[in-house]
Amino acid sequence: MWDEEFERILRDRLPFLPPDEPLEADLDLTANGLDSMGIVDLMVTLEREYDVRFGGDLLSLETFSTPAVLWKTVTALTSPAA
Amino acid sequence: MTSSADTAAATGAAGRTALVFPGMSALKYADVARFMLTNPIARRLREEADDALGYCLADHYRDAEEDYAESAQAAFLLNCTALAQWAVGAFGFTPVACAGPSFGAKAAACFSGALGFADTIRLTVELARCEQDYFRTEHTDVVTQSFVRTPEEGLRELLAGMDARGQWYEVSCHVDRDFFMVSLREPGLDAFTAGIRALGGLPLYAMRPPMHCAAFAPLRERAAAVLDGFTFADPALPVVRDQDGAAVTTAAGVREMLLDGFVRPVRWPDAVRGLRDLAVTRVCVAGPDTLWGRVPCTVEAFDVLAASPRAALRPRRYAPWAPPAPVTALAPVSAAASVKG
Repeated sequence: MWDEEFERILRDRLPFLPPDEPLEADLDLTANGLDSMGIVDLMVTLEREYDVRFGGDLLSLETFSTPAVLWKTVTALTSPAA
Repeated sequence: MTSSADTAAATGAAGRTALVFPGMSALKYADVARFMLTNPIARRLREEADDALGYCLADHYRDAEEDYAESAQAAFLLNCTALAQWAVGAFGFTPVACAGPSFGAKAAACFSGALGFADTIRLTVELARCEQDYFRTEHTDVVTQSFVRTPEEGLRELLAGMDARGQWYEVSCHVDRDFFMVSLREPGLDAFTAGIRALGGLPLYAMRPPMHCAAFAPLRERAAAVLDGFTFADPALPVVRDQDGAAVTTAAGVREMLLDGFVRPVRWPDAVRGLRDLAVTRVCVAGPDTLWGRVPCTVEAFDVLAASPRAALRPRRYAPWAPPAPVTALAPVSAAASVKG
């Protein structure tokens, strides 16, 4: 499960997700208001907050499809082997 | 500097305000239906649109199977127009200019007074049919790929490589300093997006039909024949051309701007510069916008007032919109002297 910071960052960019609704792992982020500008902003913020850099095949809209996929990516980028 | 609609209105942010009509993005009927069906201005415009088209626009839009169906395009135009009229009354400003990147040029032409609303609705539908007919047989393998976070210098090198390999492409849209759209043949798309990723860029969407390419000159000719059926008037407000930022003030200029949209790239940073040259300090983005009012070159140059369907559904005091008065003077003002940067 992701940390509080990740959830806060993500929720800030999901205008259609009511604050009292849970952030489900397989939530469709696009359907909840994450558009292209939101994706760019989200990526830059995650890079700054987690000191990582999205690159290669991770630079894809699929990376930003659900909280689970995105957190898995962030986790992989922050792991020592990354 | 971006301010929400409410904040800007509450603080009475003054200055010269321009209306910006966004380029069209895919928009579900459900996302705009409440505004389109209940807002009094939208209702009035729907009646006018239904009379002009001879069918119920809202019903056709609801049942449309494609994101850019003619009814979806007409509905987008209607909603942008209604939101502009609503914003002028709700926020109490007198626009000094207007602009519209890509599809938004039609709404800008309409709002400026160069073309009546009913005519603009008919024009939108007729151009949609013209375009659909053209791309059914022409350039069937061409897509327009958008991508962001790509430095222009790196992009230039990537495109130089395509030149060297004899691969056709055209830059269709400069959205911002590191945000572009390039049209190319689909077989080369994977290699192109891989090149974008290698530059650290994020490929976004591949759009069909493609847009804004010199190669589409025959489409421009067909569109010119469509436009021959409409009479343009001199705009009452200067229309800042999305292709180079020039201020268009004549009927012929508006017509050419719409036609050139088929064959010339959108250069939004130039349009921003054109608005600044008119001493514009604030833009009101009228319509369901996911892009133009949010990119850095816009928010760094202006206060941005978002006139979205959601904003219009909030209760608010309202003063009715009146058509803009004719332009009496169009004196560019030094941006350095009077526009915040």
